Amino acid sequence: MHAGHYISGAGHLGLIGWLLWGGGFAPTPEPFEVSEVAVISSEEYAALTTPEPVPQAAPQPAAPSPPEDTDTPPERPTADADAPPARDDPEAAQPGTPDRAPDVSGLQRPAPAEADDSSPQRPAAPPESATLAPDTSDRPTPRPAPRVAPQPVAPPEPDARVDEVRQEERTPDEGADTPAEPQEATAPEAAATEIVTEAEEASAAAPRTSLRPRARPAAPQAVAEAPQDDAADEADPIRAALEEALGGADEPAPSAAQPSDAPAGPPLSQGERDALRVAVQNCWNVGSLSSAALATTVVVGVSMGRDGRPDVGSVRLIGSEGGSGEAVNRAFEAARRAIIVCGSSGYDLPEDKYERWRDIEMTFNPEKMRIK
Amino acid sequence: MRYTSRAILLVAAVALGACTNANRFDDKDAVVLGGAGAGAGDASNPASPAYFQQAVGDRVLFTVDQSRLSEEAKAVLDGQARWLQDNPEYAAIIEGHADEQGTREYNLALGARRANAVHEYLVSRGVAGSRLEVVSYGKERPIEICSDESCYAKNRRAVTVISAGLSG
Amino acid sequence: MMRMILTLLAVLGLLAAPVAAQDGPLRIEITEGVIEPMPVAVPDFVVGDGAAREYASRIARVVADDLSGTGLFREIPREAFISPITSFSSPVQFADWKAINAQALVSGAVEIGQDGRLVVKFRLYDVFAGQELGEGLRFASAPEGWRRMAHKVADAVYTRITGEGPYFDSRVAFVAETGPKNARRKRLAVMDYDGANVRYLTGGDDIVLAPRFSPDGEKILFTSYSSGFPRIYLMDVASLDLRALEEQPGSMSFAPRFGPDGRTVVYSMTRGGTTDIYTLDIDSGTTRRLTRSPSIDTAPSFSPDGTRIVFESDRSGSQQLYIMSLDGGSPERISFGQGRYGTPVWSPRGDLIAFTKQSKGRFHIGVMRLDGSEERLLTASFLDEGPTWSPNGRVIMFTRESQGADGQASLYSVDITGRNLKRMRTETGASDPSWSPLLR
Repeated sequence: MHAGHYISGAGHLGLIGWLLWGGGFAPTPEPFEVSEVAVISSEEYAALTTPEPVPQAAPQPAAPSPPEDTDTPPERPTADADAPPARDDPEAAQPGTPDRAPDVSGLQRPAPAEADDSSPQRPAAPPESATLAPDTSDRPTPRPAPRVAPQPVAPPEPDARVDEVRQEERTPDEGADTPAEPQEATAPEAAATEIVTEAEEASAAAPRTSLRPRARPAAPQAVAEAPQDDAADEADPIRAALEEALGGADEPAPSAAQPSDAPAGPPLSQGERDALRVAVQNCWNVGSLSSAALATTVVVGVSMGRDGRPDVGSVRLIGSEGGSGEAVNRAFEAARRAIIVCGSSGYDLPEDKYERWRDIEMTFNPEKMRIK
Repeated sequence: MRYTSRAILLVAAVALGACTNANRFDDKDAVVLGGAGAGAGDASNPASPAYFQQAVGDRVLFTVDQSRLSEEAKAVLDGQARWLQDNPEYAAIIEGHADEQGTREYNLALGARRANAVHEYLVSRGVAGSRLEVVSYGKERPIEICSDESCYAKNRRAVTVISAGLSG
Repeated sequence: MMRMILTLLAVLGLLAAPVAAQDGPLRIEITEGVIEPMPVAVPDFVVGDGAAREYASRIARVVADDLSGTGLFREIPREAFISPITSFSSPVQFADWKAINAQALVSGAVEIGQDGRLVVKFRLYDVFAGQELGEGLRFASAPEGWRRMAHKVADAVYTRITGEGPYFDSRVAFVAETGPKNARRKRLAVMDYDGANVRYLTGGDDIVLAPRFSPDGEKILFTSYSSGFPRIYLMDVASLDLRALEEQPGSMSFAPRFGPDGRTVVYSMTRGGTTDIYTLDIDSGTTRRLTRSPSIDTAPSFSPDGTRIVFESDRSGSQQLYIMSLDGGSPERISFGQGRYGTPVWSPRGDLIAFTKQSKGRFHIGVMRLDGSEERLLTASFLDEGPTWSPNGRVIMFTRESQGADGQASLYSVDITGRNLKRMRTETGASDPSWSPLLR
């Protein structure tokens, strides 16, 4: 090999490369600009969009298509109609931070009209969620769980509803959910209560050792929830009574041994309570919550109709713990969606005990759902 | 810039050539030629950079994540030191390289360690430090492109590139 | 004795129990939920006047893509819609959206203002609760800015529903790669966070590495070989003005990163085979050496408050992560797992460190707390490296290089939960991403 060959070869290749890469060596990239985007106030908006004294008649005849015309009249008033949302415009000067203020007031607004809307939808909701399921994250592969989850089934009513319940015992490192009923599989199947990252799922090569080092000592929780039968409750009357007596109980002991003589009917059995709890769980989607909201426990109150459907307007935030401001509101909204969405076809609650569940307080504790 | 960036271009172009005909330039890094026209010369001429590259050996290899010089490497470097002393009109740039198994920043630093090991050895053998410069390319310029140890072994290298003298 | 007291209390308790059970509301505790994307509907925006028509569906498209791209939302296909939104101001038919299980609905309108600017407004609804979420917003921009407006709408929606900070209205600087592995051509480039609007900032003559945005998003630090040696440079993104920052002969400098004040740069410099960490004041040019060890100390990253630096060092014998205070004091090691840890990056929220980990022949992107606890690996592949945080600290982008002679680099992103791993679409190979702050 001689130098001449090198030089000539390099020169030719350089030339070819030049041609191939479209003169890539040459270009001095051009400066570019970023379009400015401004948040504007309603006044500015009105100024921009409201036609000036120009006779309005002119543009309208000119509009080509009839549907356009019907559109325009409602649009005209927008300048006025938009006034309410414009109130917030202290931010006009800071486009970067839209919509900071958590408007609790807005959340409380009852929406009376909605009660009607939901009824025709009743059959639609559950199947919908079933078909949606596969679209969701395919990451957590539901693997066949080696052990069968002890499934608390409401003893009194072995009917269809209860079977739909899917509940798994959680052991600390048990990744996958156990679909309780293959044929009744609904949305939750595709969803995961634990995150399996790429790192974790890569079978052989991925180091399994360093996974989630000391995330959550969840085991005791699972144990505590395990005994669900009425009989099991008797095992713990002392503790329950103690808590009652001390006034510290956040749940009234389900005193199964005491058929109440109150007109309200007997208290809900543990099975009935579990059925409700699991039904709400199925719609409590924390997948779109911030980490801060996922660290927030909220207590939500709701009034129920006799048909087992929640009164949408009655859903309210009673208390919270762990988060603040925005996180609380976001956590509340997710809880509200859970109650309303899964209740849109009515929860399966015993009507003869209506007084017992007319008002419900649900505590949504995401501790187990957190990924931290 | 002009000099070295042209040099890089040249290396790039030749390497591209290697791509179209895999064996033609096999295992021969481009010898960088002086802009002033100092030819690589004939490899049979012991005073030519081509001789340095092919007969003396312009590179030493390293084990994984190491910058220690092996005995073979030292033998090669002894030859390099002799050649440099015999040909004082030339200077040299020592390029340190790493294989692709490592983060970009770490590999830059590792390449610098390797180049520095060669630099120190050559100086200890009597080459004036002022004639030597070091640069690290990290994992940016592999000569072998497969993702196996066979390639990695050749990429973990320090290459002494002869240049036309101190004027550059 | 104890037992007796307990029994006594128990009896008392049992007497009290029925009353409590009967009077209070039913109380249940929900501790398990599901994690799945929220179904959201983003119908085409209403056209206020004909001239804005072309933007109506384009903007809705970008909004929907932004939202579903997070993995936290799932767009409901248009075909499923029962009734279109034909007017921005008339009441929403919630029943029609409930029927298709849309939990959130974004309705918007576009028109061309009298000054020729494009005006976009939107509202967000919680369909099942039947109410608007937050207050609608309006944006105005030159029509070319329609993508940014769409990103701002999506940011507002995302923030309102999730509670996370916004991040769609941002950009990513990266290295565009072409050519074979052994002669790769690298150019600095900037694109929108979603891959749109790619611009090249350098011509590709010189090797360039690891661009890093300034806190105001207007400048980029990077490493270039244009001098023949790796040196750090500062570029103004708008004018492309270039300035060398560190030109000490006989040294190589690389891995620069801005401090939160935008004028302090932390970087590493190699001299005589050892690599140490320095800071440099851009205005005065004064440098300060932070580490003095014969080891490789590199890849430094500031804490968001600017008081500390996380970096990697092999002083222990292998690459590990350390945190040191800018005031001095010895670095504290934070990584103790098996394997090697590199390229740590402090999250903009300040609570996590993202890093590259090598273990058993594979590369991972992971996160850990500042004390090294709760390490979680989010990815695994032949070669993953160089994480960068989204402005809100929720998403990490990184480089993934494929294996073999024709291996290519591309950009990937992953949610910090480890979900939603996806590849960014770029027209060339791409590496070394740096996520900008939120645009202004």
